[in-house]
Amino acid sequence: MYHVPMIRKELVAASAEPLVLSLLARGESYGYAIIQEVKARSDGKLQWTDGMLYPVLHRMEHRGLIKSRWAESETGRKRKYYSLKKDGKTAMARHHEQWSLVHSVLAGLKKEQYV
Amino acid sequence: MFDLEQSIADWRKQMLAAGIQTPVPLEELELHLREEIERQMKSGLGEQKAFEISIRQIGQPKTLHSEFKKSERTFVKKIMIILLGIFVVFIGTGLILPALGKHKQRNYAALSAGANFFDIKWAGDETYGLVLGTAFVIGGASTMIYGFKKRKA
Repeated sequence: MYHVPMIRKELVAASAEPLVLSLLARGESYGYAIIQEVKARSDGKLQWTDGMLYPVLHRMEHRGLIKSRWAESETGRKRKYYSLKKDGKTAMARHHEQWSLVHSVLAGLKKEQYV
Repeated sequence: MFDLEQSIADWRKQMLAAGIQTPVPLEELELHLREEIERQMKSGLGEQKAFEISIRQIGQPKTLHSEFKKSERTFVKKIMIILLGIFVVFIGTGLILPALGKHKQRNYAALSAGANFFDIKWAGDETYGLVLGTAFVIGGASTMIYGFKKRKA
């Protein structure tokens, strides 16, 4: 079976913002859950150094893309929940467009190699 | 004998020493650490091993601190631009108001005789204050709007 190697750190860093925005578009979430979700969806191939997500979240909050609130989970654990703001939705749409473009160019070139 | 709470307290000290601010983001990082330790232990690891893996996964204090610094810089830069805008608007107002006041005072007699405020001729320094002040207010307000809308540092 073809083995997909771990994603390079440059690509991991570049994809952090679109991934966080897209995850939060499904509803509010907190740092730990975001990391687990990304790990699970990528079969562990997309790995952040856990702590590095938080500066990304804070930066996005300062830029007005997301907002946060402290709340208690059902187990009584304190958590900081993040959710998408209007500007975040716009930024997400822009990311989707750009990544789709890169993907379609790449896919087109790959297809040509096999013709 | 491994003491989890003591180890977490030591980890907090290392984070603080590296410059990570408390309560935010240190508290958020600690909550993450505790959740990860709990998950590792549920998957069968002992307390010490779970702690060691979790702190490695969360990252080096210095690397984390430099990343947080970047996000603080973005925020500080935005606030500085907004403050600069407010300051310039104040200077502008400080130029307009005295010019208007002087104009009104100088022509008080004409005004009380029933002349329209805007029909009274303007002295050179009053016009200068008004024009320069208006330019400052417009410039300052634009800077403020730019600061509010600024997305990237």
